[in-house]
Amino acid sequence: MKIKAEDLTRVFRVGSCEITAVDKASFEVSKPAFIAIIGRSGSGKSTLLNLVGLNDCPTSGKILCDDTDVSLLSGSERRKIRLLQMGFIFQTFNLLPTLNALENVELPMALADKPQKDQMEKATSLLETVGLGKRLLHRPKQLSIGEMQRVAIARAMANDPEVIIADEPTAELDSRTAKEIIALLFDISRKGKMVIVATHDEKLVDAADVVYTIEDGKLRIVG
Amino acid sequence: MFRRKMRTALCVIGLVLATSFVIAVGAATMRYTTVIKEISVLFNGQVMVVSNGTIVIQAVPIGGSMLPQAFTEERIQGMAGVEKTIPILFVTPIGIGGIIQPVPVNFSMGIPVEFWHVILGPTPLRGNHGHFPSNESSNEIAVGTSLADEHGWTVGTRITVNSHELKIVGVLNTRLALLNRCVIMPLKLAQEVYNYLGSVNIIAVKPIQGYSQKNLAEAITQKISYVTALTEDERNDMIQPVLSQVETWNLGLHTAIFLMSLILVMTVTIMSVSERRRDFATLEAIGAPLGYIFRIVILESSLIGALGGGLGLVFGSLGALVLASLYTNIPLTQFFPSIFEVVPPLYMAGMFLAVVFVCCLGGIIPAINATRMRIAEVLRAEY
Repeated sequence: MKIKAEDLTRVFRVGSCEITAVDKASFEVSKPAFIAIIGRSGSGKSTLLNLVGLNDCPTSGKILCDDTDVSLLSGSERRKIRLLQMGFIFQTFNLLPTLNALENVELPMALADKPQKDQMEKATSLLETVGLGKRLLHRPKQLSIGEMQRVAIARAMANDPEVIIADEPTAELDSRTAKEIIALLFDISRKGKMVIVATHDEKLVDAADVVYTIEDGKLRIVG
Repeated sequence: MFRRKMRTALCVIGLVLATSFVIAVGAATMRYTTVIKEISVLFNGQVMVVSNGTIVIQAVPIGGSMLPQAFTEERIQGMAGVEKTIPILFVTPIGIGGIIQPVPVNFSMGIPVEFWHVILGPTPLRGNHGHFPSNESSNEIAVGTSLADEHGWTVGTRITVNSHELKIVGVLNTRLALLNRCVIMPLKLAQEVYNYLGSVNIIAVKPIQGYSQKNLAEAITQKISYVTALTEDERNDMIQPVLSQVETWNLGLHTAIFLMSLILVMTVTIMSVSERRRDFATLEAIGAPLGYIFRIVILESSLIGALGGGLGLVFGSLGALVLASLYTNIPLTQFFPSIFEVVPPLYMAGMFLAVVFVCCLGGIIPAINATRMRIAEVLRAEY
């Protein structure tokens, strides 16, 4: 999947005040890689990821997915792209508390109408890959923070997407668990996926193939 | 999570109470309107003659004085358009407890045996045991199933009413609430037992085919100064406003309770959705179709409705039985076998579906809220 952003701008209005969270950001990623976007809190990282992940619409500018302007797509078409071509990892994991680990991972496959048997096999295999083979039936509250993030990674991989978008995936984790998660994400990128991570974790920056910085909404490539 | 469970539980309890109340009151009201409608069916197409000042509920005389049977019948039969006359003695109650209570607590009916078919139609005797008494019988009577069961009466049981020993020769196997609570005996015997020799309190007059009920009733009223003759329409006109009013109040009560249930479910579901904004935003972020999210919320509110409606059905049916028992003084246990007569299955099903439907409706606005979340804003705000 090729993602191209052209003069991407996102302005939030709070009363009469306008805040430009992303200011004319342009970039292009076309091949599997580990991409890190770094910046201070409030610099616009999450907003940029939400735009790239089609969870938000830019105030101006364009995002092209495989040369298709996503602003021209309907809500359900954008949702379909999110479901089948993108995987999301959130800072606070965002697992559904009423579902167990297996069901959380099966969910995106169920939404994509995959056969029940395939869902179960794939979810089990993904959870085993992230080291949770013995925790399949545990609910989020029965898992540690690191384990929850692993389930979230497995969920992001469920529909075998081309792009994984992770927003501060290690922010809530201790350094040892963070290291393990970074290793997992790195593995994923080496298996031919595009991994886009917003972070201020230096270890993640070290592992990245491409690093962007964002400051006051302005995006720059640093390496 | 605990607060949400607690709130849902309270919502279910609220629905159970609302449904129970509606079913108990609705079923009790419906039972009495049904009884009144049943009475109407028994005397279709006939003119009912009572003494002046008697209140008539369809075909049951309340109060008023007695009519001299032979004299009145003779005068009516001499009139044009009369096919036959059926003299009836209604007595409420038969004396158990000694308190006058309204139908269908119990009542006695004396009617010439050759006219029993007018009242009973094809009603068989329970288990085909026993027989119908003859006109000449001096002590044979038939009783309704409910009355027989309440007092443990069977064919052959002897009961004493006003110092007369009466023998039960048949138990009516009927589903009509009115007949279920009646003691029916030959007219002469009834007149003797209740000390109304030669008197009746109502005479049903059947007009000949094609003769106008209205003309006949007018002629009877003009010719016999001490009677009032009422056509079927006039009797309906007397009771219809009361029935309509009862039904209107019943409908109003149902509407008010359902409206409150709707608001309750909507409030609880809105709170539940707003507490789980992150879950719904996450679902949207990972690509769940809006219809899927909408269905989750509707399903949840429907489940609350199904649970509240189901439990409300059980408690409401019990409540209806308790009300019926309190109102009629018939022991509660006797109502259990006939629970579906007090609360008809169709009414139960209708109420259950209505509660579930109301809860579905209550889920619509929260469901729309759940699908209209701005994912980016919700996810950012939750951090």
